[in-house]
This record gives sequence, C-alpha cells and structure tokens, in this order.
Amino acid sequence: MDEFDFARGVTVGQYVPGNSILHRLDPRAKLGGFVIVLAAVITTSSYFGNAVALLAVIGLVVLSGIPLGYVLSGVRPILPILVVFTLFNFLFLGNYDPTGSRVLWRQELGIGPYEFAFTVTENSLKQTLQGVVRIIALILLTSTLTLTTTITSLAKGIESLLAPFRRVKVPGHEIAMVFAIAYRFVPTVADELERLMKAQASRGADFGRPGRFQFAKRARQLVPITVPLFVGAFRRAERLIMAMESRCYVGGAGRTPISLPRLVPRDWISLAAALGFTLAVWNVPWPL
Amino acid sequence: MTELIVEVRDLWHWYLRGTPLETVAVQGAELELRSDDLAAIVGHTGSGKSTVVQHLNGLLRPHRGTVRVFGQDLGDPRLDARPLRRMVGLVFQQPEQQLFDPTVGDDIAFGPRQLRCTPEEVRRRVRTAMERVGLGFDAYKDRYTFGLSGGEMRRVALAGVLALEPRLLVLDEPTAGLDPRGRAQLLDSIRALHAQAGMAVVIVSHDMDVVAELARSVWVLAGGRTVMHGSVREIFARVDELRELRLGIPQVSELAHELRRAGHRVRTDVLTAGELAEALYSGTSPSSP
Repeated sequence: MDEFDFARGVTVGQYVPGNSILHRLDPRAKLGGFVIVLAAVITTSSYFGNAVALLAVIGLVVLSGIPLGYVLSGVRPILPILVVFTLFNFLFLGNYDPTGSRVLWRQELGIGPYEFAFTVTENSLKQTLQGVVRIIALILLTSTLTLTTTITSLAKGIESLLAPFRRVKVPGHEIAMVFAIAYRFVPTVADELERLMKAQASRGADFGRPGRFQFAKRARQLVPITVPLFVGAFRRAERLIMAMESRCYVGGAGRTPISLPRLVPRDWISLAAALGFTLAVWNVPWPL
Repeated sequence: MTELIVEVRDLWHWYLRGTPLETVAVQGAELELRSDDLAAIVGHTGSGKSTVVQHLNGLLRPHRGTVRVFGQDLGDPRLDARPLRRMVGLVFQQPEQQLFDPTVGDDIAFGPRQLRCTPEEVRRRVRTAMERVGLGFDAYKDRYTFGLSGGEMRRVALAGVLALEPRLLVLDEPTAGLDPRGRAQLLDSIRALHAQAGMAVVIVSHDMDVVAELARSVWVLAGGRTVMHGSVREIFARVDELRELRLGIPQVSELAHELRRAGHRVRTDVLTAGELAEALYSGTSPSSP
C-alpha cells in the first residue's frame, strides 16, 4: 500500500467501463430500477427479507461484471463509523424499545452520580443487525449504479426523469447540472489532494499521527493542504464558469437533447423485474 | 570524486493496483545519477517520467525492481522515507499552486520550521534559498505571496524546497507555462545551483530546447521504459530515433538540419544558438563563392 494512494480507496465517483447488461441499460430505467430496489432494501423489516435484499444486490454486482471485492472496498472508508454506530445501537437501543418485546440482556451501570443501562431486546437486536445489512446493501447498490453509468448519462437520466415536474417549477436541468458538476470533480479534487500532500511532504511536511486528541496540531498540519486546495477549487470554478459562458450556456431554458433514445424492451423488462422483486419482498410472509 | 547517488533498476509501478482501473505507469525503467550530474529525463506525456521521479524521495515505492537513493533501498517497506526527503528536493509541476502562506518568507520557512531549526538557522536558510533563486531577501520576504507574478511564485516555490538544503534537486517540468523572461531566469538559477551550490540536478521535461540548454546527460523514457541514455550531444545526434518517439530535437538543431538539407555545409550537432552561429560562420565561408 502506497503512502499517498487515495484514489485507490475511493470507489464513489468512479466509472468502470464494461459491456454488461447494467452498463447497457438506459439511465432512466437504471435510475428507476435503482429507486425501486432501494425501497425494498430500506423498508423490509425481517431477517429473511434483509438477507434476500442483500443477496439480490450482490447479484446485481455480479451481473455488472465488476469484481465484488472492488465494490466492497467502497465500504472500507465508512467502516469506523459503521462499527461505532452498530455498537451504540446494540448497547442502548433496547432502552427505548417502544414495542415492548422480550428483553434478552440487561446490565445496569452506575458511575458516580450517573446511572445508565445497557439493554438488548429482541426488537433492538433485529434493528441493529438490519442497520448493518441495510447500509452495506445501500453502498453496494449505489456503487453499482455509479460504477456502471457515466456521469453524463446519469445527469441526462435525472434531467429527463425530472422533466415532468417542470410545471411545478422544479428546475430539473439545473439540478442535474449541479449534480453532474459536483460529481465530476470528486476524482479531480482527490487527485489534487494527493498531489498537494506529496508536494508538501517533499518540502518537509509530516502527516504522521500527532496523537489522537491533539486536534489543534492536526488542524495546523493540514493548513498547507487545505489553503491551496481551496485556492485551486475556486480557480477551477472560475475557469469552468468562463468556459460555460463562452459557450453561451444559460441554463436549461430552451435546451433540447441531440439524441432522444427510446426505452427498449430490455429497459422495460429490468424495470418490471425490479418492481416484481420489491413487491415480492414486501408481500412474502417471512418467518422471521 | 563523484559517487553514485541514484540507482534505479528495472522499476515497475502500477496505478490503482488491485482495482479494475489498474494501469501500468512504469515498466522496467532504468536511471543512474552521480553526485555531480546535471541530467534530464525526457519523454512524452504518459511515458512515466513523473512517476519515476516520485520514487526518488520515497513518495512512491517500487512495486518491482530496485530503487537505491543515497545508499538507501526504497523497496524496503520498513524504511522511513522522511529523512530522504530532506536530501532529495522534489519540485512538482506548477509548484506555485502549493504555496499557502500569505508572506513569501514564511512560506519558504515552512520546510526549515518543520525540521525544527532554530530561528537564526531558519532565517539563514530562507535568505540563502531566496538569493539562490534570485529573489532579494529584504525586498521579497514580506511581500504578499498571492500578489506575485507567475514566474516569481514559481521561484518562491523552488526556494521553499531549497530551504531544506537538499543534495539532489529534482524539477518536474520547471519551465512549463513561464514567459520567456521567467524561463531564462529560472534556467540561470538552476545552472547556478548546480555549479555553485554543488547540487546534483535532474529536470524532467518534454521541451527539448530546455534540455539542450541545460542538461549534460539525458535519459529518454517511452512507454514506461528507458529507451536511450547518454550525453546530451549523443542523444540529439540520434535524430531519427527521437523523431520516431515523436520527441523531436531542439529548434536550433532542427534549423541546422534544414540548412544542410538545403545544401549548406553546416555541422548538425549544434545545441545552442551560439553554437549554430559559430558553425554557420566556419562552415559556410569555404563553400561560398
């Protein structure tokens, strides 16, 4: 593992070229299907339902032809948060269990004047485990969507899905454009960060660990990175504005796309499959 | 007495290794530098030259092959590269973008302060570094960094690396984007650093005019491999090979070749305008009617 190799850990904002069915789907169908499967992932409230949803998402990853290990590496950056979140849920969620389910374990603690309790109930245990499964499934699902779709086609998809809302003054084109620009620059900024850290390390900066609670020291260490990073971001923004204005960009009013692809049967079939899957997950009487 | 300070053998490096986006950047590069070298690494965009030089101060570690710098083996994962970064000063492309302190003096003092030098030592190093790049200490030390011209900012950035007092200075595309005057000043400074401060200097460039003007030895990279190396004159004599690599030769040499093709008896192994003038003077006079 190289000291300054950040881009390796970032799977968000990357696109992996390929020719799988997921790559070839129309972005509108892909986005629609994504939202539908997402609904299944976040609403099912049984152990089996969650497991089936996770398996289905893994199936999608396999279908995309992108190595599962690479997609899973997108979970790594949030792993510490996930662990803390899970631990706290596990220990404390049972204290506030409104369903009154059976208590599995309870431990009361008193430290000085403070008294609190760890409680695990059947329901809180379920919610904790489901939380973990859902977050992993969510990351996998989102990564699969973005890894198989170029930014431009994703933005076009969003724009055309938002088009019907123009009547109620939803600026669909602008939303899609803002999204596409923000998204487009994630890898650029990551590259720039890496370059700056290397450049400052070359002139003696040390980004070693200054001890866990030395926040002030840590912040000072980062000044040589953050100042040029922001200067660069503003400069880039200004250049982008100039480039857009010199091409007479005035927003979405009156713009028409050069090509209007129709949804082909495989798009409709995918949408139907996603819908069928979600309805099934909702309506099957899972035993647990 | 010169010693071998950099030894790169069969270096391989991949970017995004272990992901579907993995690409090989360097595949079997070779490089050798001696302590009195004034060398250039040339190659097309994507030839791997920037990747190779990032190995010289341990920013990147070799994935295969060996890199030895000042006797230290960078293939050893336990080696702490930080002391090496004081001996090898690496100046990135467009280094003015890495400035962050509002005043020139403080920005240059960043390195020495990180080394925990005493205030007197910091002052001495900043003064020396500024004078070496042609920025007067008293005139510039309190100037506002972001109000300087592009050429001045680049020299401030160079001084920031020089303040570490490295023994080997590596400059990635030092003249890119500078106006002719800034370029000439920078090249003079680099030449003086080599001649007076006794630093070994490597520049990375695809500008053959800069290479011809400055370097003594040249390493040519293509497709991540070292394909030629030799003295600057030897390399630029191999015109056809360079053209094949789409690298070209210095404009002055190009002109000499043109003149010869047009029937003038001119030496073609000229590298600078002065040499061409001399060659024209001595070469054309006997043949003129």
